[in-house]
Amino acid sequence: MAPLLSLILLLGASVQLCAQAGNPEPAFDEYQVKAAFLYNFAKFVEWPAHTFAHPNDPIEICIVGQNPFGSALENMVQGKKVGDRSFTVQRLPDMQQAGKCQILFIGASEWKRTGALLDGVTRPGVLTVGEIDDFTALGGIIGFRLEGPRVRIRIDLQTAEQAKFRISSKLLSLAEIVKRSP
Amino acid sequence: MRLGVTLTLGLGFAIRILAQPTPSRDLTQFSLEDLMSVQVTSVSKKEQKISKTGAAIFVITAEDIRRSGSTNIPDLLRIVPGVNVAQIDSNQWAVSIRGFNSAISNKVLVLIDGRSVYFNSFSGAFWDVIDVPPEDIERIEVIRGPGGTVWGANAMNGVINIITKHSKDTDGVLVTTGGGSKETAEGLAQYGGDIGSKGTYRIFGRYANVNNSAFSNGQRAADGWHEWHEGFRSDWNLSSRDTLMVEGDLLTSAAGGTTTATFLESPPRQADVNRRLTNIAGDVLGRWDHRLRNGAETSLQVYYNALRRDGQAGVNLSNDTVDVEFKHHLAAGARNDIVWGLDYRVAADDIRPAASYALRLNPPARTDHLFSAFVQDEIQLGRSVFLTLGSKFEHNGYTGFEYEPSAQLVWTATEQHTFWASTARAIRQPARTDFGAQFNVGVQPLPGGGTGLVTLFGNLDFTAEHVHDFEAGYRAQVNPRLSLDFTGFLTYYHELETTEPEAPFFAADQGLLVIPLKFGNLAHARSYGVEFFAHWNVTGRWKISPGYSLLQMAVKRDPSSQDPDIEQTSGNTPRHQFQIRSLFNLRRNLEWDSSLIYVSGLSHLAIPSYVRLDTRLGWWLGESVEFSIVGQNLLTPRHLEFFDTSGLVLHTEVERSVFGKITWRF
Repeated sequence: MAPLLSLILLLGASVQLCAQAGNPEPAFDEYQVKAAFLYNFAKFVEWPAHTFAHPNDPIEICIVGQNPFGSALENMVQGKKVGDRSFTVQRLPDMQQAGKCQILFIGASEWKRTGALLDGVTRPGVLTVGEIDDFTALGGIIGFRLEGPRVRIRIDLQTAEQAKFRISSKLLSLAEIVKRSP
Repeated sequence: MRLGVTLTLGLGFAIRILAQPTPSRDLTQFSLEDLMSVQVTSVSKKEQKISKTGAAIFVITAEDIRRSGSTNIPDLLRIVPGVNVAQIDSNQWAVSIRGFNSAISNKVLVLIDGRSVYFNSFSGAFWDVIDVPPEDIERIEVIRGPGGTVWGANAMNGVINIITKHSKDTDGVLVTTGGGSKETAEGLAQYGGDIGSKGTYRIFGRYANVNNSAFSNGQRAADGWHEWHEGFRSDWNLSSRDTLMVEGDLLTSAAGGTTTATFLESPPRQADVNRRLTNIAGDVLGRWDHRLRNGAETSLQVYYNALRRDGQAGVNLSNDTVDVEFKHHLAAGARNDIVWGLDYRVAADDIRPAASYALRLNPPARTDHLFSAFVQDEIQLGRSVFLTLGSKFEHNGYTGFEYEPSAQLVWTATEQHTFWASTARAIRQPARTDFGAQFNVGVQPLPGGGTGLVTLFGNLDFTAEHVHDFEAGYRAQVNPRLSLDFTGFLTYYHELETTEPEAPFFAADQGLLVIPLKFGNLAHARSYGVEFFAHWNVTGRWKISPGYSLLQMAVKRDPSSQDPDIEQTSGNTPRHQFQIRSLFNLRRNLEWDSSLIYVSGLSHLAIPSYVRLDTRLGWWLGESVEFSIVGQNLLTPRHLEFFDTSGLVLHTEVERSVFGKITWRF
């Protein structure tokens, strides 16, 4: 009887307390927030000259490996513009076409080959964004990192400069700046 | 059954009240600052990797550990379905996966940062010397089912992998202090910092003192203990492609307890004696990880492990182990992901009697060499179908050459649904005791009057116990808030250890009749079962994790076996275990966490079923100070969890207890 009672109490009490507490602070899905960050990067990053052929060419966001965003990323950038540029989102089967991407997202599913994938990005003007812990150490430009329930970003300025990016001080001031060991 | 119904009803009720859709405000309107401050619900990276694993794996996260309020590792493992944790006395635990629980469980391999703490002297882990400050644990991975292909011998029923935090994640000062009714004092002082621009480190000292517990008749036992543990970890980024990790520990402990000893007097007699168990455990480990230009990775790991343990079965034990391991992880073509490795281990063991009732080993000292190699290939068969094939090949000093192959098929049907199936063979290498023990385990009245001495002998023909395992599982990320994990298994054990009665003989020098028992390999077993768990973020502030495991086991002796007890040993492990955890943020700075665990009775050991309720209230004062109060075993004044049939650890009961703790980080 005691176990039964305690279980009911445990759950019952939790339910009541929760109901009384009213609306908790809303929590967003991690990948909705990361998608919003990708959109923001386009606003706070300046691509090297000649990246785009025309002033109104879209910004191509490519996802390598499994797509953790579901349809969140497409829905988010649909109809949005940064300057005159709209967005396209596509999944890349391999890295051969990585050079045409302006933002290249390498998801956590690719953790085993992240280093190899980054080694395959040879052209400047590809903003590499990843989410494994050592993404910047492996040669990526912007790494997402979770600090408790919040998304943080880490930027390797040296890698960014090698890829000919200019990153706004606004974005830099909010990011953790790291340096790859020589 | 009623438990299940109540639970379902309770949960159903909770869903209706609490389920609320994820907010769908337009995040593109959010500033960067806003995005950084919103809270996200997420599936961790580890969980993402794990969702693609073709094995039954459960991860205890750092957050789970902090919010459990547990101060020892066995208690942390209670939340894992399929794992049975039973406390025997204040300082000894029986921990098993999928059956065969005993005071020194011999079918579960335990690793700390890749260093084995399974001692072949007695075939098992000594949980009283496995101490990692809870605040420094990154996660504990528990793999149910054979892990021989990668981890080698003794990972027969599973692997418990304790992984400590990178030292960059523990910078600054950490001080904890606490005390309560059972654990009267506990404290940790830790400092972490940088070494130049490339290295980080932490050093810590920890102390714990635990009270005596009580026997079933209410009398106090003499099983209290205390420990001092000092350690360090340092991590270095040698270059963009090289990392080095070095860590070390020194633990000293002293524990009491009661042993049922057999004295070689005339006539021989059995009596309970108080024992004193002292430990000095030290280790140092270094690992160098290197990433090659093509994305391949190599790792070289070396460790030294030393244990001086006096008082176990009346012996003074000394063990020194050196292990060198190399691993290479590479991609071959577009479809093959290969890991292979080599390992060499040398263990020097010295076990000497220190009491008149002590276990004797022949020879007292022994040095063993273990050579092993493994290769495993993950082959991409289709867009979302992966087949992993591999085997360990090893040579040990007891049974010679052994192999431990496995195959795993993983199908990631969609991002949210993963199906897997696997089969494996694994072994348990004989312990030194299996080969060379001579231990007086009891007395027996003789039909014609007088008393005979029952002595257990090792067997030089003892062979490796081995297992064939088949399992399948399904994982689902139903939505961002709910994940489910199901596993079913069918396992066949062969050549299991038995103790066979032999013809009695008269020992003239002692003037008494010896009734010998000898280790044999004359039993087999079949077990099957299911394991289930879920993680459910009911709201942004309330998370519950229910779990259930069923284990159905039948041990059969071979026709040639005379072991009277072996078939009952399936009753050493509970058939049903059920657990539910609730992590609840009452306010931003106030946490209320509970866990309720049901364990069904152990028929063979006459242990009735029991329910444990543990609860913790944690209060944060700003970002750096945390107060917590933990109540354990709240439902009954005390209960019994295990009975050690070997008599080495006389069981006491687990009592209701409270514990308060302050954690200060700056």
